[in-house]
Amino acid sequence: MEIHRFRYILFALMGLTALVQMCAIAFNAMGEINERNVYFEQTGRAPEEFFAAMSYTRAVQETQFWFAVPVGLSIAVLVIYAFLIWYRDWFGRGTFAYRLLSLPSERRNIYFAKLTAILTFVFVLVGFQLLLMPIGRAIFAMIAPADQLQPSYIADAIFANQVFKILLPRSFAEFFVNYGLGIISLLVLFASILLERSYRWLGIVYGLAYAGFCALLMVYPLLALGLNYSTGYFYTEEAYAIQMAIDGLIVVASVWLGLYLLKKKVSV
Amino acid sequence: MIELKGVRKRYRGRYVLNGLSFTAEKGNITCLIGMNGAGKSTVMKAIMGLVPVKEGQILVDGKPRGRWMYEKISFVPDHLTMPLSMKMSEGLTFMADFYASWNAERAAELMRFFRLEPGEKIGNLSKGTAAKYNLVLGLAPNSDYVLMDEPFSGIDLFSREMIADVFSSELIEERGVLLTTHEIGEVEHLIDKAVILQNGKAEMEFDCETMRSEEGKSIVDVMREVYSR
Repeated sequence: MEIHRFRYILFALMGLTALVQMCAIAFNAMGEINERNVYFEQTGRAPEEFFAAMSYTRAVQETQFWFAVPVGLSIAVLVIYAFLIWYRDWFGRGTFAYRLLSLPSERRNIYFAKLTAILTFVFVLVGFQLLLMPIGRAIFAMIAPADQLQPSYIADAIFANQVFKILLPRSFAEFFVNYGLGIISLLVLFASILLERSYRWLGIVYGLAYAGFCALLMVYPLLALGLNYSTGYFYTEEAYAIQMAIDGLIVVASVWLGLYLLKKKVSV
Repeated sequence: MIELKGVRKRYRGRYVLNGLSFTAEKGNITCLIGMNGAGKSTVMKAIMGLVPVKEGQILVDGKPRGRWMYEKISFVPDHLTMPLSMKMSEGLTFMADFYASWNAERAAELMRFFRLEPGEKIGNLSKGTAAKYNLVLGLAPNSDYVLMDEPFSGIDLFSREMIADVFSSELIEERGVLLTTHEIGEVEHLIDKAVILQNGKAEMEFDCETMRSEEGKSIVDVMREVYSR
């Protein structure tokens, strides 16, 4: 249901990402061929003597701005939608919150439906991005002359883009940190939104205070325990363990708070 | 029976409900009457668990409320409660998916009675058509109680007649109905019991037929007396 309601925006983001990134690759390849042709016309020499072989990895590196634009836009839309996924049910002509809160099933299902919907959108977009990489390589290979084409690995192409280093990490540990932080932020945001929906004006203050407190808790180990430098009081492993424990605490507290508010305090 | 005992609810620094107690029985049409801002809609929302109450008890058939209650009580608010992007038929499917008490046959019958087009988008419905669709969603389940918040508000004469017909039909007969309305005159003959709200309390609770036969007063007469005190 939640996924169904976002489908058009999701398809639009996927379409835009495909269009911008594939056009960027195509224009990059055509531009490079054009440069080679100009060189040949002006000097009469074979371009291979002066130019390196055409590489998809290099094309991705050179067009990384155009790769980042739809990715950034998708992230921005998802952040806005993390608010809208709640508020759209409370405001407007069709206040769906009345119906959702009157369903004869546990209210926590509403919370988890919204949470998993956002996570599904994120992973659908990331998966689609991964799918676009070999498609981009195929388009690049179709445009570039076969004798001037250097084969590229998808992993190298991903690593050539600064945004993908965060979005498509190579190690599980990095994935855990990057996406873990994102999920924690989402849980804190949900708790803050539900505070606002429960206590209205006062709830805004509570929500901001809760989000600020969680942010402070999350950066505290970095600042005070020496997680990011080796001369701290704690061993790196210990500081990591403390950081993980704090993050775990924030996850449990945010989910508990969100579910409690939804069950006992939220109002239409 | 729906029973409210000393219910208190604070809103914007004042008690909208301040020790409210009354009952709404099965088989009766009970009307909550009050001036604007008296807390009529808040009572409905409080019964449905859509706003938390500060103090007091709300019992349904003698038991504290829980999610089981949503199969027993239907709520018909004065506005749409389905996503506007849905078609009316999709809204009915949604209800069938979630409510064990949903009666698809009755829903189809009500859609025909109100001459509603299942393929039409909910977002395109006029106020009157939306009210009829809300009634379909509220009356189709095999629920014991129906709460209706201003079912006649902003609706044209013919639609009002159609809705009023529902009140005297078998769709309502066996159930307990709790409604709020400003159009007392129009539904007075249908109402069994009236509860007059003032200052967050039930100022008066009376059987309409008894009041008519014994004291010769209509609901409006009693309202005048209460509000002129």
